[in-house]
Amino acid sequence: MITRRLLLGSSLVLLALPAPMVPAWADATDAARGLIVQLGKQLTDVANGPGSAEERRAALDKLVDAAVDVEAVARFCLGRFWRTATAEQQRDYVKLFRAVLMRNITGKAGEYKGVAMDVGKAQPRESDVAVSSVVSRPGNAPNKVDWIVGTASGAPRIIDVVAEGTSLRLTQRSDYSAFLASHNNDVQALIEAMKAQAAAPG
Amino acid sequence: MRPSFRPLLLTLALLASAALAGCATPPPADDPDAIAEFKENNDPLEPTNRFFYQVNDALDTVLLKPLAIGYRGLLPAPLLTGVHNALSNLGAPVVLANDVMQGKPQRAGHTLTRFVINSTIGVGGLIDVATDLGWPGHDADFGMTLAVWGVPDGVFLFLPVLGPSNPRDAVGFGVDTFGLDPWGWVGKGVTVSDLRLTRTGVSAVDTRAGFLDDLDKLKAQALDPYATIRSLSRQFRAGKIEDARGDVTGTAVKKSP
Repeated sequence: MITRRLLLGSSLVLLALPAPMVPAWADATDAARGLIVQLGKQLTDVANGPGSAEERRAALDKLVDAAVDVEAVARFCLGRFWRTATAEQQRDYVKLFRAVLMRNITGKAGEYKGVAMDVGKAQPRESDVAVSSVVSRPGNAPNKVDWIVGTASGAPRIIDVVAEGTSLRLTQRSDYSAFLASHNNDVQALIEAMKAQAAAPG
Repeated sequence: MRPSFRPLLLTLALLASAALAGCATPPPADDPDAIAEFKENNDPLEPTNRFFYQVNDALDTVLLKPLAIGYRGLLPAPLLTGVHNALSNLGAPVVLANDVMQGKPQRAGHTLTRFVINSTIGVGGLIDVATDLGWPGHDADFGMTLAVWGVPDGVFLFLPVLGPSNPRDAVGFGVDTFGLDPWGWVGKGVTVSDLRLTRTGVSAVDTRAGFLDDLDKLKAQALDPYATIRSLSRQFRAGKIEDARGDVTGTAVKKSP
């Protein structure tokens, strides 16, 4: 029990530190892999550690915020409609995108019990870095998950997750663009729909 | 003609007639972004596809999903795994034939080794011993073989009963089911066709039970589930084909230290 508490404690200390904990001389590939190794350790510690569902959710929230470039993902998912949105709509949209993303991730917090992540190679992909990993949960076949890490914001942050060949942000973008196509390309309609999603009971 | 062909023919006829009825309208020529998106979706039959998505969804709600829930709820977990393993072991000859036609020695070797180990030590395929020994499985079908040979997928199709597909993979499915599957060649008579029907039925329920939670989640989280499924199924397929091209074998289970 003591070791578990220690583990959670130390992971919470890590949370308080800035995300890129690699020396300046390391190149982007090493930095990206370092981010994912660290995130994997923190995620499994939170998922398998003690604490109420509520505490776990709060810890996951912080982890995601530190490791994911939420605004970059949000912009990508709105695609060509980002340009046509007003400044206010852009603000509302990013806020809601974050809320829905967090809800979708942390709503599953209970399912992560026993999860293990084995980080593999990191290699450049276009202007970003792809870090491969195998994620396994008890009773499930292991999944191949690639983490796409970008450095546009200076520090390495996750900009996409590719699970078994399916990209989270590409899939999300098709969902939004199909919704917009059937709603006169009205970004406000999307914002209203996302408000409903963010408020729905999880 | 074997009776099992009839539903397929009926399905194709229905699809053809419906396909003629509904085509998507391309966006105006002065909107290049919208045109790029239209091309990327590659879904000119979208109204028809959406219609069949609704039909399948309704069928699923009243029939397949309740069956899958019952199946998963009533049978003990080891038995569910056993049935799943046995079904995929029965599918091994088709996987092997396609691995060979794709010219992928590593994958073919894995499939053959798996089949031998699981059919013997694995008690007729009920226990997936091979995965634990370091030979994880992978998928291979004739649609993937055609892709490896250079055949493009073509437009998006949402097929009645079968779900998301495209002309290449639909042809592939026909070749796998009626041409490559050796269990379709051996034996005849009522018992054999009953066994075949049972396998098809159990296989459908087993597959559906495998993504009960995922599909519920997808439908709850997507604003347009049809478009999300279209995107996911295409990417998933492309990933599998990429693995086949590179002769990449399945994801191994990590041994606990």
